[in-house]
Amino acid sequence: MKSKYALRFVALGYLALLLGIPVALVFVNAFQDGIAAAWDAVTTPEAQHAFYLTLVMVAVAVPLNTIFGVLAALAIVRQRFRGRALLNALIDLPFAVSPVVVGLALLLVYGSRDGWVGQWFADQGIQIIFSTPGMILATMFVSLPFVVRETIPVLREIGTEQEQAAATLGAGPLQTFFRVTLPAIRWGVAYGVVLTTARALGEFGALSIVSGKLSGETETATLFVENRFQRFDETGAYAASVVLALMALVTLLAMTVIKPKEGQT
Amino acid sequence: MSIVVDSVSKRFGDFVALDDVSLEVRDGSLTALLGPSGGGKSTLLRVIAGLEAPDSGTVSIGGEDATQQPPQRRNVGFVFQHYAAFKHMTVAKNVAFGLTIRKRSTEEIDERVDELLKLVHLDGFAHRYPSQLSGGQRQRMALARALAVQPRVLLLDEPFGALDATVRKELRAWLRRLHDEVHVTTVFVTHDQEEAMEVAEQIVVLNDGKIEQVGSPKELYEQPANDFVMGFVGPVSELSGRWVRPHDVEIKREPADGAQEAMIDRIVHLGFEVRVELSLGDGERTWVQITKSHAQELELTAGDIVWLRVAVPV
Repeated sequence: MKSKYALRFVALGYLALLLGIPVALVFVNAFQDGIAAAWDAVTTPEAQHAFYLTLVMVAVAVPLNTIFGVLAALAIVRQRFRGRALLNALIDLPFAVSPVVVGLALLLVYGSRDGWVGQWFADQGIQIIFSTPGMILATMFVSLPFVVRETIPVLREIGTEQEQAAATLGAGPLQTFFRVTLPAIRWGVAYGVVLTTARALGEFGALSIVSGKLSGETETATLFVENRFQRFDETGAYAASVVLALMALVTLLAMTVIKPKEGQT
Repeated sequence: MSIVVDSVSKRFGDFVALDDVSLEVRDGSLTALLGPSGGGKSTLLRVIAGLEAPDSGTVSIGGEDATQQPPQRRNVGFVFQHYAAFKHMTVAKNVAFGLTIRKRSTEEIDERVDELLKLVHLDGFAHRYPSQLSGGQRQRMALARALAVQPRVLLLDEPFGALDATVRKELRAWLRRLHDEVHVTTVFVTHDQEEAMEVAEQIVVLNDGKIEQVGSPKELYEQPANDFVMGFVGPVSELSGRWVRPHDVEIKREPADGAQEAMIDRIVHLGFEVRVELSLGDGERTWVQITKSHAQELELTAGDIVWLRVAVPV
């Protein structure tokens, strides 16, 4: 009996020290000058634009990475081709490489002055670095692995028999995918989407390089928090952090709500 | 409809699964593909369904060449050993799947699903999920799902292999009766000779990717084409270097023409059947199967000297 409580104490204590207390303090500090001050801090035009831009990042990166993620998982699990192992390993690259390095790498490729293809894009009038396209690329890069990694094990688990059964019953490849495969892997994909969203919301390092941090233009919510913090606007920094934390919380709650009860499927 | 398989070969890397196999399955018949695992029987079934493409040879169904057709165009019903139930769909949706794909009207689908669930004795289970069914029920659901689209042929891959012995026996008898009702050309794969003998009208024995023999259960048992078929479809015992059925050996208390002397080692009583284990003069061992009443008549005991003779000339 004692060891049961000891285990709980260690687990909860660890979580409290590392997660609970710091996050709680953010909330406390956000409202140190009252709710009105916090509200004002996150409703300035710069703040609103920053949140808007963060949502744009999520709105583009999450669907694209979800589609790519499911396709990549299908290719890795269901097909045998040269370079399959390499693809599998490459997908983990964003986990391994620091976001700052990702930002610098994107600069080398898309920089408008001396980037590898940036010059060409600049000639077409498309600016990628220090602009939204580059920021979306950075966000996609860092949030790429989640859907693939969450989908691969469920795809392995369901096997191919259900798909073969669908084929013998007259379903073409697309019908089989949408009616049989996708419903069977949906919880894996959904969890991947939640993690991708959370990662996209919180991206900072790569964005701080490729965005140029122009307040009110290329500043996302995380960059806005840093900006406020550097300018000794503590209320602004903490209040914006609280909004970011709430966005992440909503994502996680959405997952818990849509997830089926144990054993339903 | 009839199935004609013509010179089909299939390899998986170095492994030859099917080696120039030709076979005809009559319209409306019930055929078993029998053989040891790795013999090629599942591969042959999957080639007929279009789930595997043969390296060479052709498959026609109902007189129409189907070799190049993908499985969804062949209109075959396929039942998998592990059911392949659509876990996220109810029993009714599972059975309706093929009809939904074919865009039939809701009324027609509902009617057909009802009818099929009755046929497989699952009426009342329409709104359950596969996870709430037993193995036998899941397999009957899979069968209803395969039959829903009125397939040209019904193919079953070790359909009872994952079920326990009692359920397996029940479903065998039931499949036999179902075939009498539905009359669809049916081919099923099994490694169990008793299952093949009990259910099928025609048995195809496959070994090492080749067909050893095709025939009725009686033909296979009584006139096996070779030692492999003889050994696979029934018990064998060896007498003077020859394979015989152990019930085709006569035990005599007195020396007789062409009879061989032997000593009884052990007598095993298996109910109706009595198994007599013997040693021959040259130290070889053999066994003979006789009925209980015959054993009593002969008053056999361990240690007795008897004479053995093949009763039926083979």
